Amino acid sequence: MIEIDGLTFQYDGAASPALKDISLSIEDGGFVGVIGHAGAGKTTLAGAISGIIPHSYKGDFYGSVKIDGMDTVDNRLTDISRLVGTVFQDTDSQIISSVVEDELLYGMENFGVPRGEIEERLSFALDEVGIPQLRNRTIASLSGGQRQKVAIASLIALRPKILVLDEPTGELDPGSSRQVFSLLRRLNSEYGMTIIVIEQKIMLLCEFAEKLVVMNRGEIAFSGDVRDVLLHIDELREIGVNCPRVALLSKLLSEKTGRQLPAAVNIDEAERMIKEMIA
Amino acid sequence: MIIAEKVSYGYSGSIRTVSDLSFHIKKGEFAAIVGENGAGKTTTVKLIDGLIKPTSGKMTVCGLDTASSRVSERARHVGFLFQNPDRQICQNTVREEIAFGLRAVSGKKRSDEIDRRTSEMLELFGFTGDEEPFSLSRGQRQQVALASVLAVDPEVLILDEPTTGLDYRECVRIMDMIREMNEQSGTTVVMVCHDMEIVLDYADRALVMAGGALIGDGRVKDIFRDEELMGKASLLPPQITGLALRLGGDFRDIDDAAAMADAVCGRMKEGKAI
Amino acid sequence: MTEIFQYTPGNSPLHRMNPVTKILLTICVCVAAFVTDSLIVLAALFVFDLLIGLTGGVFRKTLAVLKGLVKVSVFLFALQALLVRRGNVLFRIVTDEGLMLASKVVLRLIVVCLPLTLILAVTKISDLANAMVQVLHLPYPYAFTLTTAIRFVPQFMEEMTGIMEAQTARGVEFDTRNSIKKIGMILPLCAPLLISSIRRTTATAVAAEVRGFELRNHGSGYKKYGFGPIDLIAVLISAALIAGAVLLRNIP
Repeated sequence: MIEIDGLTFQYDGAASPALKDISLSIEDGGFVGVIGHAGAGKTTLAGAISGIIPHSYKGDFYGSVKIDGMDTVDNRLTDISRLVGTVFQDTDSQIISSVVEDELLYGMENFGVPRGEIEERLSFALDEVGIPQLRNRTIASLSGGQRQKVAIASLIALRPKILVLDEPTGELDPGSSRQVFSLLRRLNSEYGMTIIVIEQKIMLLCEFAEKLVVMNRGEIAFSGDVRDVLLHIDELREIGVNCPRVALLSKLLSEKTGRQLPAAVNIDEAERMIKEMIA
Repeated sequence: MIIAEKVSYGYSGSIRTVSDLSFHIKKGEFAAIVGENGAGKTTTVKLIDGLIKPTSGKMTVCGLDTASSRVSERARHVGFLFQNPDRQICQNTVREEIAFGLRAVSGKKRSDEIDRRTSEMLELFGFTGDEEPFSLSRGQRQQVALASVLAVDPEVLILDEPTTGLDYRECVRIMDMIREMNEQSGTTVVMVCHDMEIVLDYADRALVMAGGALIGDGRVKDIFRDEELMGKASLLPPQITGLALRLGGDFRDIDDAAAMADAVCGRMKEGKAI
Repeated sequence: MTEIFQYTPGNSPLHRMNPVTKILLTICVCVAAFVTDSLIVLAALFVFDLLIGLTGGVFRKTLAVLKGLVKVSVFLFALQALLVRRGNVLFRIVTDEGLMLASKVVLRLIVVCLPLTLILAVTKISDLANAMVQVLHLPYPYAFTLTTAIRFVPQFMEEMTGIMEAQTARGVEFDTRNSIKKIGMILPLCAPLLISSIRRTTATAVAAEVRGFELRNHGSGYKKYGFGPIDLIAVLISAALIAGAVLLRNIP
């Protein structure tokens, strides 16, 4: 369980706070998407959950962030990292090794995973991400999508309770982006891992996440179930957040027919809705 | 404007290979190149810009054979906006950055024309000119890069995933700016893009690539309705188009949400009438 | 060009050798090259370098490194040959001693550069770091800094290529043949390159931190780096190289 209470954070040297009085709680096993305009504070929020704020990036920190009751300010980053795995925006910078296998070993070695368990966790993580064949490949020979999967696998091997990802599909094509999100869904539903993902691709977020947090100028503008948030299409657009076109279609149909239609989040739902209407 | 005749690049088995590309993009067209990562899209636009030369075949841009003329010479005709603006930006202020490209293509250190054009672009993009590029957001830096490319008033504009890493608002702003250039000045635009909704909203023509080959070429509307072709390229059509295909019949040709809502309501009224 | 610094997977004797032994062998080749003043010994060391490339199955990379050194070598050779005035004049201001010295300088450069790059071709960076920490008990932060620096070289070069490509596209004449002009144009690009590198280094450090960087010590390795017969042979060869260089330092 993640509890954020009255969090305000201002980077050293910045003119204004990146986060302003944020309060948010995320249940165990949740799948939360975070979206918002550039500079809205999404990455800072993710950093606060990972503990790298305030441990690695300095600044004025007010309020509190607790992971399973553990205060992120009072505890070492290393101890927070045992619970929270973080995938950063720039995959190339976060990969430390030159070969896939070594990248997965790195964290396990550091956190002292027992020798007997290492091989099992290694192959589990590779299988789960769908890249067992890449085990001995060099990182340099991999595509962007494959590198992203290696980065995720290296964290899955550590079995964190919570996985935080900052725009994991930024450089990927539509096919690979969906694959990454399908993987996140499986980790969430099969192993109960809490997933927090920052993403600009609203269509993917609405299809895969359960909850949405919409940020605007360092504050939370909307937070709740995906369908509820999607009822505010006009306000979302105003603060620079797009919405899936099937959701827009639901809204237009609601207006035209005077019915209270729920927002569709994917093509299947939209198809079902229309077929019911014209049946 | 851009004529590719049996253009190939690279050797079989190596990455960044394209083979036997033939297409003709006319003046004023807005074409999108779509496909998976590794399909050869970036290689193709680099071939168009002449950053790399064909191993075989011939690429002609603005009447110049890319193999025999220098890229820096063609820069006045062809503008290239890269995915990462930080590779393009190298000056300390936005004003200097915009002027830098103008100086490079004109070969002059100073001229009234450069000053005039720079001021025009600053005004168009809403910059004061004194901003430091590296303190701006990624989306703003992309706008700076676009401004310095457009300042030269190129006949052909090449965009390699111009909206990556931008939020929705920044993305719309950049794309609207490009559309305006395309419609007002007749600039030919070739864009590599992963977002099919942007392709649908802005481009007229789509070139579909897979495995280094051109497997489809046609109007965006038609291409997105060719399910077999889209499958081969591992692409999904935009949501409303996908929905239209599933519903079929009268709905089949609809691409936008408003038209779809109208059509559904129309059908409901008919239903009631019967 | 960038692949020169990257690991080539394989199972050659050199791949199987303990990374520490490889470091020792590399250092010995360098020491031998500096101890000796004999052209013949330098030539022999050069042949030894080529043999390393062959044994490691990275001969093509060896040639690529040589090719990369051509420009610097020609420059150094010319500089030495023109500046040294001792000896008998062979052609205008070029003397026999000048040529001899020039050859030695260039050969020494090549002999030293080859193993330094080849060791990276046959050793994973993580093995290099792990072995240094486990066997030599080097504090991990130092090993991490070293390996990260090495890992950044290809990324740095890739970034530079990207920047030059972007600048060429906007009309900067990087496609000119005039090298001096080109260097003048590259200098202003160093600032953006530096900024992106700093950004990257910070990101790497944080990524390591959240995966238990602080906890790592010389007991952390999953793989153990033992010494085998190959290592013994390599140590003997290293000793022989030094001994040979010292004993034969005065032959021509």
